[in-house]
Amino acid sequence: MTLRRHAVVAVLLCLGVAAGCGGKKRPPNVATGGGGAQGARTTPSDAPLPVDSGPDVAPFDADATRSEDFSITDPATLEGGPLEDILFEYDLATLTDRARAILEKHALWLQNHRAAKVTVEGHCDERGTAEYNLALGDQRARAARDYLTSLGVAAERLSTVSYGKERPLDPLNSEAAYSRNRRAHFVVSR
Amino acid sequence: MPTIEILAGGQQRFAVPECVPRRGDEASREACRTLTQVLRRDLAFENFFRFVPENLLSAIPPLDPESPNYADWQGIGANVLVVTRAQVTGGELTVEATVHAVDSRQTILSKRYSGRAENPRIFAHQLSDEIMAAAQQKGVARTKIAFVSDRDQQGPRRSKELYIMDYDGFNPRRVTVNRSINILPAWSPDGRSLAYVSYRQGQPDVFVASIFEARSTNLTEGRGQAFAPAFSPDGRRIAYASSRGGNMDIWVASADGTGARKITTSAALDTAPAWSPTGQEIVFTSDRSGTPQIYLMDAEGLNVRRLSSVGNYNDAPAWNPSRQYSEIAYTSRLEGGTFDIAVVDLASRQVRQITQGRGSCEYPSWAPSGRHLVFACRRARGGTWQITVADRDGRNVQTLPAGAGNNAYPDWGPSAEVR
Repeated sequence: MTLRRHAVVAVLLCLGVAAGCGGKKRPPNVATGGGGAQGARTTPSDAPLPVDSGPDVAPFDADATRSEDFSITDPATLEGGPLEDILFEYDLATLTDRARAILEKHALWLQNHRAAKVTVEGHCDERGTAEYNLALGDQRARAARDYLTSLGVAAERLSTVSYGKERPLDPLNSEAAYSRNRRAHFVVSR
Repeated sequence: MPTIEILAGGQQRFAVPECVPRRGDEASREACRTLTQVLRRDLAFENFFRFVPENLLSAIPPLDPESPNYADWQGIGANVLVVTRAQVTGGELTVEATVHAVDSRQTILSKRYSGRAENPRIFAHQLSDEIMAAAQQKGVARTKIAFVSDRDQQGPRRSKELYIMDYDGFNPRRVTVNRSINILPAWSPDGRSLAYVSYRQGQPDVFVASIFEARSTNLTEGRGQAFAPAFSPDGRRIAYASSRGGNMDIWVASADGTGARKITTSAALDTAPAWSPTGQEIVFTSDRSGTPQIYLMDAEGLNVRRLSSVGNYNDAPAWNPSRQYSEIAYTSRLEGGTFDIAVVDLASRQVRQITQGRGSCEYPSWAPSGRHLVFACRRARGGTWQITVADRDGRNVQTLPAGAGNNAYPDWGPSAEVR
């Protein structure tokens, strides 16, 4: 399961990489992407390295169109945006398999949008104390950031901010709301 | 007996009859009514003296404020009689107060206060504090409580602003006006500054506001996430939690933010520092055991040892500032998932529950006297957070009328005497 997913990741990264070098821009740093994926915790050591193997990928035009996604982030709420939230278990800052899969898509998106910078926000649900939730939110944001950098995203493009329980996405007090609020949220800017 | 010792034991029974207006106008009578009501509440809140029941006060002939009939007051069991008079003239309120020792017929205190008539409550607060001082106690009637309210929020950003109110929840005044998130206020010991956490520059930074000059300084300037500030008792240092070193640790800097130094080294989350009354130790929260728990260390970061032993989620420690009580209040999660305020005695390690069955309560802060706690409680899911006070034994829990919205993160300011 993990093995297969990482094979997919490698291919995705490969596609992203290929898209990056398909035009006039400088070739992407393949080694960074490959080494990063290999360095990630669930990557088996024998996973195929992503190599620049094919030109049959998304053209630059599509990228340019997709970069319009920046405006999806509502400047008033900072919600929305091209990068989906990842969710966490109660009291935990460890990345779930699903969170890793989403971050791998984000890494690919970031490969294709090299001007984009991302603020990773760490959020908690309201059950818990203010101080510990601020620390936990910071830990969640750092976990997401560290996984992205391990996938080859340059650290300079990523910043983190912890909101603790101070700005929940869903103000309701249901389990569903709590689950939506235990998240890392990605605010994209140029 | 010297007058100072008459009140010192706290066992005397007080009579606080109605204030007698010096003039018959409505303003003077209204000022007198407020003065009586607030003074009675202030003295009762201190939980130090006993009181003659109010219904007995009308069972004897009316008070002669110039020359009380001591036998009458002795007859209803009063040991101390507080006589107040007031008048309003041209927008100025004058209050005269005399505190009599009924048994020895001595005058313990004789005071005359005057000032603007808009807020007669502060006259009562000052008199209460002076009576407590005569009993060699730190009164809290003129202290302030800083807190955070979301009452001003507009739109989806959900701003939180700092407020300061009187200790009894009256006269809330807004401090921050930046429409960002401003939380976790902490008073400086001189009562002139508030440290707090603000997101106004994008990430949580520790700011210090000079509240009388309406100025603020960013102490941490975006170097990592920084929050949970606490001034040392001498006001010269400030501790806070910061991820500046790559991990969440406790840092200590000079009060102006310079010379910041990381004093914890655990790979776990270390947060919520608070100082001992001597400034020689720091209590904080760490999840190095796997769950957030309360730890002690000396102020240089050495000699770390775990304090909390009950429960799997303890945070937000606050050291009782009075050297009379060696104890630490904190927030503790119970079985049902709600949080309550608990106090651990440092000598016996006995834990006593301060709140119970009030929904969730968190963020305790001690009155400068060490005899009361303030914290925030929410009765039920979906309700609002409200500032709540209790005696240090958990009795007399009451919600303060702090105003609209969610009101949370209270920090009890220093005594008026040191200002």
